[in-house]
Amino acid sequence: MAFYFTGVRSFPKLWKSNPYLGLGQGHSYVSLFLKDCDGIRNQQKWFSLKTMSPQNTKAMNLLIAKVRYGRKGDEGSNKQVSSESPHMFAAGAAKKRSQMNPSSKDHDLLPVGNIIQLPTKPLNSEEWDKLKEEFKEKANFENWIISQMVKCHSSVDVAKSVLAWVAAKNSGIVGYDLLVKYLSLCVFHKQTSEIIDVYEIMKARYKRLEPAGSTLLIRGLSHTDRWREALLLLEDMRKVITPSKRNYNDCIQGALFHQDVNVAWNLYQELLGHDIVPMLETLKAFFDFGKDIKDDQYSNKLQDILLYLRNNQLYPGESFAHSIKTWFESVPGEQWKGQFTTIQQSGQCLGCGKTLESIHLSSEEYEFLKGKIMNDVIDGGDQYKKTTPQELKRFQNFVKCCPPFDIVIDGLNVAKMFPKARESQVLLDVVSQLAKQNLHVLVLGRKHMLTQNSRWRKDDMEKVQKHASCFFADNISEDDPYLLYATLHSGNHCKFITNDLMRDHKACLPDARTQHLFFKWQQAHQLAITSRHPGSKITFQHILNYDTVVQTTGDSWHVPYDEELVERYSYEVPTRWLCLHRKT
Amino acid sequence: VLQRHMSSKIPAASYPNKESTSPPEQLELDGWKITMKSSAQEEGVSTVLSSKDEDPLAATKELIEMWRLLGRDVPEHISEEELKTIMECVSKSSKRKYLKYLYVREKMKKVKQIKKEMKIAAKEQVKKDQLPETTKEDKQQNFLFLRLWDRNMDIAMGWKGAQAMQFGQPLVFDMAYDDCMKPKELQNAVSQLLESEGWNRRNVDPFHIYFCNLKTGGAYHRELVKRYGEKWNKLLLTATEMSHVDLFPKDNMIYLTADSPNVMTTFKHDKIYIVGSLVDKNMQPGISLAKAKRLKLATECLPLDKYLQWDTGTKNLTLDQMIRILLCLKNTGNWEEALKFVPRRKHTGYLEISQHSQEFINRLKKSKTFNSFP
Repeated sequence: MAFYFTGVRSFPKLWKSNPYLGLGQGHSYVSLFLKDCDGIRNQQKWFSLKTMSPQNTKAMNLLIAKVRYGRKGDEGSNKQVSSESPHMFAAGAAKKRSQMNPSSKDHDLLPVGNIIQLPTKPLNSEEWDKLKEEFKEKANFENWIISQMVKCHSSVDVAKSVLAWVAAKNSGIVGYDLLVKYLSLCVFHKQTSEIIDVYEIMKARYKRLEPAGSTLLIRGLSHTDRWREALLLLEDMRKVITPSKRNYNDCIQGALFHQDVNVAWNLYQELLGHDIVPMLETLKAFFDFGKDIKDDQYSNKLQDILLYLRNNQLYPGESFAHSIKTWFESVPGEQWKGQFTTIQQSGQCLGCGKTLESIHLSSEEYEFLKGKIMNDVIDGGDQYKKTTPQELKRFQNFVKCCPPFDIVIDGLNVAKMFPKARESQVLLDVVSQLAKQNLHVLVLGRKHMLTQNSRWRKDDMEKVQKHASCFFADNISEDDPYLLYATLHSGNHCKFITNDLMRDHKACLPDARTQHLFFKWQQAHQLAITSRHPGSKITFQHILNYDTVVQTTGDSWHVPYDEELVERYSYEVPTRWLCLHRKT
Repeated sequence: VLQRHMSSKIPAASYPNKESTSPPEQLELDGWKITMKSSAQEEGVSTVLSSKDEDPLAATKELIEMWRLLGRDVPEHISEEELKTIMECVSKSSKRKYLKYLYVREKMKKVKQIKKEMKIAAKEQVKKDQLPETTKEDKQQNFLFLRLWDRNMDIAMGWKGAQAMQFGQPLVFDMAYDDCMKPKELQNAVSQLLESEGWNRRNVDPFHIYFCNLKTGGAYHRELVKRYGEKWNKLLLTATEMSHVDLFPKDNMIYLTADSPNVMTTFKHDKIYIVGSLVDKNMQPGISLAKAKRLKLATECLPLDKYLQWDTGTKNLTLDQMIRILLCLKNTGNWEEALKFVPRRKHTGYLEISQHSQEFINRLKKSKTFNSFP
């Protein structure tokens, strides 16, 4: 124990200033540690270790560091967090959630290695020789120094002096790797003439370039007069590997910069043909360029891009949204008006008052999703993996016999919500509150919930069974797939209660389209519990009833977009919208 | 151009006039470009034109060569067949992975070669030094045994193996996973099987090993025969196409799988343990548990959490670690001793069974009673 205290006391100030730990210091240190050790099991382990091996001290230090960083993050977020917690699927919600539990934060510090002051102006050979002597680590000084220069964006002249020095030593030959790094510096500083020089050298010396070199050259050349040669480089690259979306982006931007619209669209088609998702930057470039073009065909193609965004559930960034707005407003004779808004809970746009598309699936989509959940998530080629055929049959019969449910509850997830309260009690609270509203409830759980012990009381469970229908799966079966299927089987009105994001089950689905259907359905039907204290009235996260996707009604467009400063996770959707409508 | 060429090249070559400040330096900086361009003209130009319509194989080879110049992890030499494999890779990352694999393999080979040469050289050196001395002493020594240790060991192990075939406790390797694995995983699995068999052979009291569900002509069988060569037919183990459920009574079998909810408390000498010979690199949890469920077998997992302070890594152990743990348990029954074979990097130390953890174990035991199969 003594060790822990000394370890902790080295940060007395940090801890004292903490509002959470007002009581006796020694006591609070320990309690915080336990919190960070994540649960009771680890706690026992920490205290029952035989000896403190070096690794353990390391682990302890790490823990201390974690706590320290976590605190910092927490203090920062305290200022930002608004009184209302964001919707589970809203952009940035996961980030905020993670700030609420500091232990989940991880910081890794990069080790600081060999530091040589990078020269700020060109050096001569002798000075380079001298610098090389100071450098005592690995063999390749030239390589190292130029990498450092690339990292710090040194001026081109300094890098050039390195190359000149290397060339002088090496009878005029500079290696390909140095050349590529030099090129990346030139491209960074947009030194066109240097880029062309290097391009000439590479063309002369090497039969074929590799992707890193070509990428830099394409990027460098696309804004010069010789931009067509970038296209040739792209062509060369395509013979061996598929070019990246960045390569296409550079070429398309180059073509647009030089007013060659056809080449740009062809490249765009080719990019889509390779099944590459284009960079949003590329799409933005088309819109930016569109301002100056008054051409029906071009504007149709831009609308196609918007539909592409819709079909692939992509959301433009903030500056892209501005570009879209500017383009629409520049269309002559149509008088578009754009504004940045949010959507009301009811699904009405605050800007124009129109109702957005409903989030509910069409009946075909619904049936399709139901089938996929049954086939891929529950069955998945081997029924024994998640359940057994007997259990599956039992479940199917059970669902068939019951009338449709209004609410399906993930019993274990709900019961474990409050670690301090008794599981069966929490479950009973939730179920009885719902039953009071005359809802037909189904509770899914595992068989072990029925055996009497301190966490699961028999009388509580009996009451639960009185209020709701229950299905208990085997202890080694998964209950979530059943939850999904029972909800889908009951129909569109049925909702399910769990705080689980179901990402693992989503991952079992075969393709992106089905996954998105699932996500859409999940947004519409998942009730997540937001109450923070056991015993209090249960409140749910409100359900979005509009779909967050690019949408149009002909004379209006609604485009959700990502704000620049908000970090959105893959299972979250943006909250900000661009509303465009035509004045009539 | 020629003038520039001249003026720029000269200061670079004969640098030592120290007074020169920025203006002459500026000229000097571009000097290397001209040499680079001009020197290339001798070799390069003609090839640039021809590169337009060549076959992709050569192009790929050139690409790899360029990568090597850039210091990427790619092999120096590459065979036609390997090139074709690279072309068949679907994605860029799979190409990169395969190239890295080839690179590492090439590097290892080189290191081995160098070591071999050094060994040979050292041996010859020793021979040279010793030659005059040994001839004198050789005649006068009396020995009890001829130096035939290796062969004697082999024979002794053979006897023990035969004994195990008759009276040994069966240990089953379930080979029904060949379609769940990629070729590389399968090769790893076979290596691990070889290793496990070797450990078993050297033990005081070996298991009687069964390879069950081993399809003749299947991928597993082919690879095993390839690795063992002639020895395959003389191995003292039972390889069979039959399933273990056909060979043994169901009640006596215990399927060992890390996914099992039941924790193994003691090694039972009257049970038949089954190990799934599966190397799972692409995350398919629950395959072996599903197999055991289908056949309605009891399952158990090693009590790693009970004895070890687990740190990183999966709880799936390799087959040879598994058999060493089982052999050790069989001979001593001591868990601390047996779990020494768990890789050290995966845990930070042994747990002392203090009062706290005792409670934890009790809880596990309790959970075990209602977790058993229906």
